[in-house]
This record gives sequence, C-alpha cells and structure tokens, in this order.
Amino acid sequence: MYLTKEEERMLSGEDDYVAMKCMEWLVKYGDAAGAERLVDIDGTVNAPITGTRGLTSETGIDFSGPEMRNKKVKIFTHSGQIDTPVDGWEDIGFAPWNDPDHHKAFIDSFKPLIRAGVHPTCSCTYYLVSTFNPTVGQHCAWGESSAMPWCNAILGARTNYDGCFQAAYTGKIPMYGMHLDENRVGTHLIKVEAELRDGMAYDLLGFYVGGKVGLDVPVFTGFNKPNYNELIKMNSALNTTGAIHMYHIPGLTPEARTIEDSFNGNKPEDTITVGWDELKEAYDTLNYANDDAVDFVYIGCPHLTLDQVREVAWLLEGRRCRTNLWIMTNPWTFRQAEMMGYRDIIKRAGGVLLSGTCPGLMRCLPPNTEVMATNSAKQGYYLHGLVYPKELETWYGSTKECINAAITSKWSGKWMEDK
Amino acid sequence: MPKQIIIKGRKVVGGVAEGEAIVSHEPVEGWINADYQRGIITERGHPLRGIKLKDKVFVFPAPKGSGGWIRSFGWMPRYNVAPAAMLFMRGNCLTFQGAVLGNIPSMTDFDKDPVEIIETGDHVKVDADKGIVYVIKK
Repeated sequence: MYLTKEEERMLSGEDDYVAMKCMEWLVKYGDAAGAERLVDIDGTVNAPITGTRGLTSETGIDFSGPEMRNKKVKIFTHSGQIDTPVDGWEDIGFAPWNDPDHHKAFIDSFKPLIRAGVHPTCSCTYYLVSTFNPTVGQHCAWGESSAMPWCNAILGARTNYDGCFQAAYTGKIPMYGMHLDENRVGTHLIKVEAELRDGMAYDLLGFYVGGKVGLDVPVFTGFNKPNYNELIKMNSALNTTGAIHMYHIPGLTPEARTIEDSFNGNKPEDTITVGWDELKEAYDTLNYANDDAVDFVYIGCPHLTLDQVREVAWLLEGRRCRTNLWIMTNPWTFRQAEMMGYRDIIKRAGGVLLSGTCPGLMRCLPPNTEVMATNSAKQGYYLHGLVYPKELETWYGSTKECINAAITSKWSGKWMEDK
Repeated sequence: MPKQIIIKGRKVVGGVAEGEAIVSHEPVEGWINADYQRGIITERGHPLRGIKLKDKVFVFPAPKGSGGWIRSFGWMPRYNVAPAAMLFMRGNCLTFQGAVLGNIPSMTDFDKDPVEIIETGDHVKVDADKGIVYVIKK
C-alpha cells in the first residue's frame, strides 16, 4: 500500500508512539484488504469505548498508560454498543449485572477513551443520537453491521466496517470497498410486490434479500416512504443473512434519483421479486418454536427509537407481564424515556428497560430461558447460536404480538396475511 | 500420482500452511453464530454447524452478517482452535480484518472458484506469500 510522506513519518514513530501503533494496524489491514492507499477521514468515526475491546484493542496501546497523556482523537468519534448494560442494570434480577461493583468497574473502564475524546454513545443506533453525522461523499470509519447501510445508503457517506481508535486518532482508513465509486453501483434489482405495512415487513424483506444478494448492492423498488424504524430494521436484517453495506432506493437515498442512476446505466445482474411468499419464507425461518409457553421476550434489536419505546410503554400500560421482558434502547433515549415516565410504566408492568447492549453481546439470557419471543430477525437468528449445542425455541412476530406474549406467557402470533 | 490442481489468487495474510480442506458452500457468519473458543460455526441450519475448523484449510464463498466476524475468527488462534488457512472467493472488511487479527494465512480473488474445485477431505497446501493454492484430490 502506498503511504504519503506524512503517513511514513507516523509509521516510523519519530514523533508519536501512539500514531505509530495506530499506523501499524492500518497498514496491515490495508494490505490485507488490497487497498492502494489510505484516505483522509472527513466524516466521523465509530470506535469502541474501552481499549480492551474490538479492533481498538489490537493497537497494543495501554490506554491508561503514560503514552496516552494529552492524546486526543483527531476525528469526531462516537462509540458502539457494548457488552454490559449502561442503564437499567439494577432491574435485572441476577448477577453479575445487578451488582453495583460490577457496574461501576464497567463504567470506569470508559475513562481512558473518554479522556481521549471518544463519546460514550454506547449504541448500535449511535447515528441517531450522536448529534453529528457525515454528509454525502464524506469518508468515515464506522462499526456495527446494521449501521453500514445507514452511513452508505441513507446518508450517502462512505464506510467499510472498520471503526476503531486507530482511524479516529490518525484520521485515516484504507481506501477500498465502499470508499470507491465503482463498489457503490447497484447490482441487483429488487421488485417488492408485497405492501410493506410495518417494521416487521421491512425486517423480513431485509432478511430475505440479504440471503439472496450477499455482498452486493440491491436497488429497491416498490415501496413508498419507509420511516426510520422500518429502515433500521431492514438494515439490521440485510446484515444478518448477508453483508449489504450499500443499497439504493431511487428517489429516497441520495446517490440515485432513478433506477437507471442506481445502476449507473448498466443492466442489473439479476432481478429478484419479493412478494408475500418470499416474506413468509423468511418468517418461517425465524419463527420456528413448538412450545407456545414463552418465558422470555426481547424487544430492542436494533436499539429502540423513542417512538418505539413509547409504543411498548403504551402497550404495557396497566398490564402485568408473566414472562421476563427486556426492552433495550440507547442511553440517550433511556433518559428521555425516564423523563416521559415510560420506564416507570414498563417497570410497573414487570418489564425491564435497559440501554447500551443486548443479550447477544451480554452473552446471556435470563436463567431457564427455553422459549423466547422477539420482534427482531437479527437477535433471534443469532441467539440460537449463542446457546449451542442447546436448541433455543424462538417465536418471531410484531412488537404487539411479543408484548402480548409477555403479558399472557402464551404465543399467539399469526402470519400477517392471516390476520 | 494423485491429481494436483493449482489455483492462483491474492494474498490477504501471508504464510504457508497445509491440511485437509473443509468446504462450505454457504457464506459464513460470525459473532455468536461462530464460537472462537471452540473453533466452530454455531449458526442454526448451517451445513458446517458444530464441525471443528482446527488445523483445516477452511474454504468458503464469502462472509456474511455481523462485524463480530472479525473477532470470531480472529480470536480462534488464541484458543488454539483456528483453521490452518482461509480461502474465500469473495472477501470484505470482515474477512480481511479477521485474517489480520488472527494472523491466519489467507487468500482471495482467485482465478478459479475454490469452493467449486476443492472438496472437503482434499489435501490443500496454501502458499499465500506466492499467491498459490495446491489441491490434491482425495
């Protein structure tokens, strides 16, 4: 990989040990990726909030050590979701999560990178609450697979999955993949023929299309005006069965006004029609439990927007749960939910409102969970892998169906066409 | 003499390794649908679910899913359960960083599709430095 004089100097460690350690990673990674050079980041970075996690831990830097004195990141940096709850932990009825010392040690572990200027956004939907986002064409280094299409497709900025302290500190990242025009052009035309009425329909669409399109760039036609909740769902599911970091919705996403624009005048490699049968296929993969006696309900993957927390709170108002119910959001939305009384409503119903993590990251389900219900294709699909070699029975459905299951402890969800 | 097939490709992470091939015809997922402590895929319904990758030449078409892929495969060497080498027809940021993290000899961008040519049980030698894969059919 070609390095500029400035980059060579950083790598030599002449001026700055921290820059040298960062460049060592970026060069190794850039060579592996086949990148020709590094690009200067003019957008934002998403990086872990603790030095012992994620790619940041690969620097070999002691983030509490003297080498980090007075060192600050160059680029505005937010942090992703983490493996312990930030808020609501005291309501989880078992160790180690409800132990104040465990929680304090966890929050204290943020300190070195907070000093370096990384903001503890602690969410997979950090882009909703970080208050500062890139614009069209800006180069970024983000993490979290469900956030990839938010950066590339929705904002029109450019990122691969490679957010880390190294990028934030040096302001550089290997230039390949999504940074290059040719990899952002549409490859597959997706003709949606089912009427997508809610977040669940978009979740299923993403799950189906991800499996068909893999690493390529779908171009969606046939849906009208999806809202944030729906797009977030679709993005997370696209990156469960596939690794779709870019797509076009002509007229909605910024890089293509028309279908022709999306393909840059080329013909689609393939055209995929998605109707009710295809969505049902995705539904059947996700909704496979036999036992209708649910003992754990999870809502919050990706982390809920305030609108979604409100929906859950209003469904629970005056009701009482007979199963474990966890609701997950980001720390900023958690504060709003507290001010609005949503947290109290959820608590009174016997549910737990949490922030910053998810069962998959905690690597933990409530004790004795045999049958789970969730409204998330992504979380449901992964949690089965967590309990290997055990089988986890999973029901999948709408938010309303999941809340009903929490209240009654019985699954009564139905395929949307049968309602 | 057993038949030898040569496949050329691009080095991702250098090194020379050989072993028995294990081939997935499906894309491979990480995070909690793989287990870096046991060196296995745990994804529900995956054809390689539960099969140990340790010391195998792991051949697959592409990665998919969460960025947890990077740690899932990149940390297998720490637990001594890693494949000897990885060959993927199409890579992305997940496989590139996973290979670097684990320092696992790896190649991509092949002149012929290794997923089609190599079968589980074939003996495969990977010279990632030279960009050559030698396949001896079982």
